Amino acid sequence: MIEVKNIVKTFDGFTALDGASITVPDGGVYGLVGPNGAGKSTIIRHLTGIYAPDSGEVLVEGEPVYENPAKKALLAVIPDDWFYFPSSTIFDMMRFYRGFYPNFDGNRYEKFKEVFSLPEKSPIRRMSKGMQKQAAFWLAMCCRPKYLILDEPVDGLDPVMRRQVWSLMMSDVTEHGTTVLVSSHNLRELEDVCDHVGIMNKGRVLLERSLSDLQENIVKLQAVWKPGEVPVLPRELEVLHTSHVGRVYTYIVRGKAQEITRQLQVHQPLMLEALPLSLEEIFIYELGGEQYAVKEIIL
Amino acid sequence: MQSKRSFFNKALFRKNLTRYWPLWGGMSIAGSFIPLYMLLELSTRTSLGLAPGPNDFAELLYGAVTIFAPTFLMVYALLCAMLVWNYLYSPRAVGLMHTLPVDRTCLFVTNALSGLVMLGIPFLVVGGLLCLLALAFGFFNLLAAVNTVAAVILLAVLFFGLATLCAMLTGHTAMLPALYLLLNFLAALLETMVGFLNQTFLMGIPLQSMQLQFLTPLLQIYENFTMGYLDMEPASAASQESAVYLQGLGTVALYGLAGIGLLALS
Repeated sequence: MIEVKNIVKTFDGFTALDGASITVPDGGVYGLVGPNGAGKSTIIRHLTGIYAPDSGEVLVEGEPVYENPAKKALLAVIPDDWFYFPSSTIFDMMRFYRGFYPNFDGNRYEKFKEVFSLPEKSPIRRMSKGMQKQAAFWLAMCCRPKYLILDEPVDGLDPVMRRQVWSLMMSDVTEHGTTVLVSSHNLRELEDVCDHVGIMNKGRVLLERSLSDLQENIVKLQAVWKPGEVPVLPRELEVLHTSHVGRVYTYIVRGKAQEITRQLQVHQPLMLEALPLSLEEIFIYELGGEQYAVKEIIL
Repeated sequence: MQSKRSFFNKALFRKNLTRYWPLWGGMSIAGSFIPLYMLLELSTRTSLGLAPGPNDFAELLYGAVTIFAPTFLMVYALLCAMLVWNYLYSPRAVGLMHTLPVDRTCLFVTNALSGLVMLGIPFLVVGGLLCLLALAFGFFNLLAAVNTVAAVILLAVLFFGLATLCAMLTGHTAMLPALYLLLNFLAALLETMVGFLNQTFLMGIPLQSMQLQFLTPLLQIYENFTMGYLDMEPASAASQESAVYLQGLGTVALYGLAGIGLLALS
């Protein structure tokens, strides 16, 4: 299990992390989402041992990860901008990684040659960004990590390769119990693979739940009221957003769909329907309360 | 359970040496022209009946280590340090190195050893060839060889240690050589500046030396680390004993220890 407990990190007076905490359970996929500058990459750098927190703890299997080679050997990370030695080939990088990771799997490296179809002996710098990302995946997965940490992992990959890569990762999760922590802005994609989600903003984790729990506790209701009889919603309902197009009113409300529907039925709408929200919508409306909302800009 | 702590990583060491082979390889190839030139010289002298003796070998080695080696090592150590510590100036490179399952001590020790080995390889090649030549032609001088090796190692540690400290203090590749040169000549520069100011504004008032020359290792080494000649009878000079000796090795040893201190400080 990966645990981040109340970490604080400042850089020249700027607080990048302000008491952030996450818990990544074993054997699943954890999506870390947030707006730009929320602190996602900073948390990832703490998890991978680049930064030490000013306060708080970053634990992998109960032990601090910073300067802990035994725990770092369990992690493989694919950052958004992967580093390779200039003029090195995939083969060179494979030999480099093999010298560090005790579980590096040479057989898997050979098998993945067919999956990724990249020129093994050509300089990586001559490859496109997408191909370089593929190379990063190839090598990271050959390290046989117990924890795979990904920062914008599929950025730059074509749709076919995206599916391929997700498929490979998910098979590692189910067959080998690999835990994946992924930070991404592509919430539509994350929705298909994540078990747990943590939403961050301004250095703090606003909420952290299983995806199913998250989706069950926020609902989109569409209602049509009789003309002139639009009711004021009960105060106890936590309404995150209200809008209407003509007579169709849309409410985003925190709570269980059944309970909220029952409360609104009292006002006898002409039509009332509860719809599930996508992860993207949950993200937008949750952060709207944090003053990070889509603004209407008039130019 | 934590595994046994390791202070050295073979993969990183091998990577450093293979990446930077043009530097140490180029130096080794360029330096190997010295033994080639010597071979030609020896052939000429032998054909004229002027076979060299152990004194000549000692003179050759001591001349190289007292005149050529300090400046060469000062520059070459800087280059080696710039290469092995270059990753610290790139966030992407740091992102890779510090996520690897090694601790920072292991990274430092491995990179430092890589730099020192790269420093030593050209000397090993050139020195090895010279010794082989000397053995082949019968004028090898063991004491001179040992003194020379010791001096080269100590000078290498000094300059590489200083360059490493500069690498840890700066945040940009270009600043490393700037700080390195400044620290190497700081005391001498300060004395010169103070002397100039004294001359300009305090005419007639003698200025005492600040006794800081030891902070300028290169100049101090050139002043104290020299080759000396023993006054010997011609008959003795022609014998196996060397009429040439190295003075100031103690100074070099102190600087070498300072180099170790600088590496530890880094």
